[in-house]
Amino acid sequence: MATRTVEVATGVPGLSAERAVTWPKRTKAWLSNGLEVILAEAHSIPKFHGELFFRSGNAAVADRASGLAEMTATVVRTGTTKRASRQIEEDLRRIGADLSSSAGADTSAISFAGLSEFAEPLLGMVNELAREAAFPEAEFERERRQKLEEVKLERTQPGFLASERLRKVLFGAHPYAQVSPSEAQVAAYKREDLQKVYRDSYTPENGLLLLVGDFDAQAMMKSVENVFGAWTGKKPETKTYAAPAQLRGRRVYLVHVPGAVQAQIYAGCHAITRKHPDWVKLGLTNSLYGGAFNSRLVMNIREDKGYTYSPRSGVHALRQHGYFSVSAAVRNDVVAASLTEVFYEMDRLRSVPVPAPELADAQNYLSGVFSMGLATQDGLLSQFSTVALNELPDDYLETYRQKVRTLTSEDLLATARKYLDSANMQIVVVGDRAQIEQQAALFGELEIFDAQGKRLD
Amino acid sequence: MIAPDTTAPVVTVGVYYKIGFRLEPQGRSGFAHLFEHMMFQGSANAPKMQHIKLINSSGGTLNGSTSYDVTNYYEAVPSNALERVLWLEADRMRALKVDDENLKNQRDVVKEEVRVNVMNQPYGGFPWLDMPPVAFRNWANAHNFYGDFADLDAADLKDVQAFFRTYYVPNNAVLLMLGDVKAEEGLAFAKKYFADIPAGAAPPFADPSEPKQAEERRGNVEEKFGTLPAMAIGYLLPARRTADWCAMALLDQALHGGRAGRMYRELVLEKQIAVEAEGGIDDLFGYNGPSQMTTRIFHKPEYSSETTLAAFDAVIQEVQQNGISADELEQLKVKWRSDYYATLEGGRGGSMPKYGLMHLLACFTLFDSEPQLVNSILDGFLAVTREEIQAAAKKYLQREKRAIVFRKPVQSSAPAGAGEKEAA
Repeated sequence: MATRTVEVATGVPGLSAERAVTWPKRTKAWLSNGLEVILAEAHSIPKFHGELFFRSGNAAVADRASGLAEMTATVVRTGTTKRASRQIEEDLRRIGADLSSSAGADTSAISFAGLSEFAEPLLGMVNELAREAAFPEAEFERERRQKLEEVKLERTQPGFLASERLRKVLFGAHPYAQVSPSEAQVAAYKREDLQKVYRDSYTPENGLLLLVGDFDAQAMMKSVENVFGAWTGKKPETKTYAAPAQLRGRRVYLVHVPGAVQAQIYAGCHAITRKHPDWVKLGLTNSLYGGAFNSRLVMNIREDKGYTYSPRSGVHALRQHGYFSVSAAVRNDVVAASLTEVFYEMDRLRSVPVPAPELADAQNYLSGVFSMGLATQDGLLSQFSTVALNELPDDYLETYRQKVRTLTSEDLLATARKYLDSANMQIVVVGDRAQIEQQAALFGELEIFDAQGKRLD
Repeated sequence: MIAPDTTAPVVTVGVYYKIGFRLEPQGRSGFAHLFEHMMFQGSANAPKMQHIKLINSSGGTLNGSTSYDVTNYYEAVPSNALERVLWLEADRMRALKVDDENLKNQRDVVKEEVRVNVMNQPYGGFPWLDMPPVAFRNWANAHNFYGDFADLDAADLKDVQAFFRTYYVPNNAVLLMLGDVKAEEGLAFAKKYFADIPAGAAPPFADPSEPKQAEERRGNVEEKFGTLPAMAIGYLLPARRTADWCAMALLDQALHGGRAGRMYRELVLEKQIAVEAEGGIDDLFGYNGPSQMTTRIFHKPEYSSETTLAAFDAVIQEVQQNGISADELEQLKVKWRSDYYATLEGGRGGSMPKYGLMHLLACFTLFDSEPQLVNSILDGFLAVTREEIQAAAKKYLQREKRAIVFRKPVQSSAPAGAGEKEAA
């Protein structure tokens, strides 16, 4: 709770009439090979942004090896049947393009941006990577050795260690528990494993191509048909996994980093996916709690108490499950004090209705920042891909602001009680146990791990 | 400065002050950045927390940043909140109203910022805090820009008000509005809220120039957490807006332009000595004093620093001896143009539209008094020849114009409770 009186501003100009928010028209089509295509014109700069998604990521192949889809995506860009690695990189530069390939839990993607005048060669490159990646032996071996160094390095980052531990705790045997492979897993990757992931997942029936930018949508659709029309391939079978177990009671997981001069707190509980009817309600509740600069948690532990620089809360939507989290990197001597405020603010939202002016402020915030994406090509792309990948209604963007504005204090109270699961939060703290162990143990049964994930006493 | 564009009902507002951490007061390292935090702590009519609350509750986001030679404050809001944002920026330009409690609070916040970004992170501050004390001799360029904790502790309210009176005067600032705003409307609001803020004396600026460097400089920094040896090599840049500077910028792209760049290609893809080799000129348009082109290399532990450095030198010698091909130069120019458009449109992700355009307009105004450069600056880069690039490589990529920082992992983990030691 703020210990000082909050003064109000005087003489603040009011807001003038709002200008209408108009999302650009989307042209949507399925090619005869099953590839879903969504195009939108945006003429802010003479460029365009695109993303070719495949609806399979690391989770879909987690039974074979952790991080296999990500490794596949990494090697995809290193050679095709027509172009060697160096040729690919120089040809991209020749047309002023940026391109990356990556995979998350639920999708693999080739993301790109380039000059409109070179749209055809860039789409040609994307097509080649999606259909004719060659997985050259030497490139695979180099990327695998690179990955080995990367996975060693990430174990020295407090933020990584915190999120890895929380995902393990929340998701248990479910593939979402794995955020990164171990060194042994990387060492065991085989080129053939990657090629199988590529053959199965990189197919038009499994794909979604999104293009936003400075082009004529009709003409662009013809180009897309020319470039991608002859591609064939089936949708892979999807595996289903048992839902992760419900977790009862607060528990604390300390990841011991000797010599740490700060403690990284990361606490979480199960929540919902984007498709869930409560999504907008939870979004607004989160922005009041810790999802905005002006939120209660930030005002409390940063602006009032100075415990931390960057406290945040968020709702993370994966395709099958979601989770809510709160994080703060705090001074070693205020771990317990910070956690006390984390739960205090959670419990306050669960027990006392949000005053009307604060609710209105949060509604304005959420509906305002939602429209910022309109101003840039990649902002639009990101909104359109969220709608398409999560199979949200076509009018999702157009109706979102209205949905935010109709919510009431009662809605938020019910939402906080349901999803800000204070009594069952799983608490991860990364830091030097000598500095923080006693404080952490105040909040639940304590387990201690080292940075390699080994259980310590 | 107003740049109308009605694509989206969103307006980005920025105020840039021509003072950064380079010329902050001696004995007060980190003060320019700490002061930036204080600008969110309250002004005459908008007390603590109100700046943040009023922007967020208008549907917008806000932030500020401190760099070498400017400090900026910016907001992106639905365009119906334009007048409110200008009122807020004018209120804090006119009169900062902060107390000891605010200062203590933000000093604590800044220390956690330094811990989370530098002291508790692998390779924290590498090389932006490691390089200056090795490369430079003038305190302005060589000191710890995030601040020694003792200096942060020594800063008091008198320092805050003196810094404000000296540098945060309207005659040392530029106001920018970009996006959904009409020129007449923006100008009328600017006059209404800013016109009667009294000008101050012309701020004193210490001389940031460096004595001539005549030898290679080297330094070592211990890496407490990370597992890979790293090094950064920085070369002094030619003066801004000269033909040499344009050539150097394209040479930078030849060396550091992603996976097609020569450094990444040779050290990571071909020789496979390094896991990462990247870098370049940081914020090409946004600095106004001695600066460097810096390569960062993280290399495999089985290769020594000297072997790695020799491989780096081979890349430099190749471009000095043979220059670049006409085809490579053409590729670089197309990519340069493409990147420039992207900078104008965004520059800081989706949540701050037109940040890049704002930054260029502000820097061209404060450093060059010539904001129109945003329309013509591209021409200089597109006119660079192969000969100029090779000449720049020979003239500027010399050992006696460079500094090297080695970041060496300690083999065993540091003992518990090693205390707070500045990484830089």
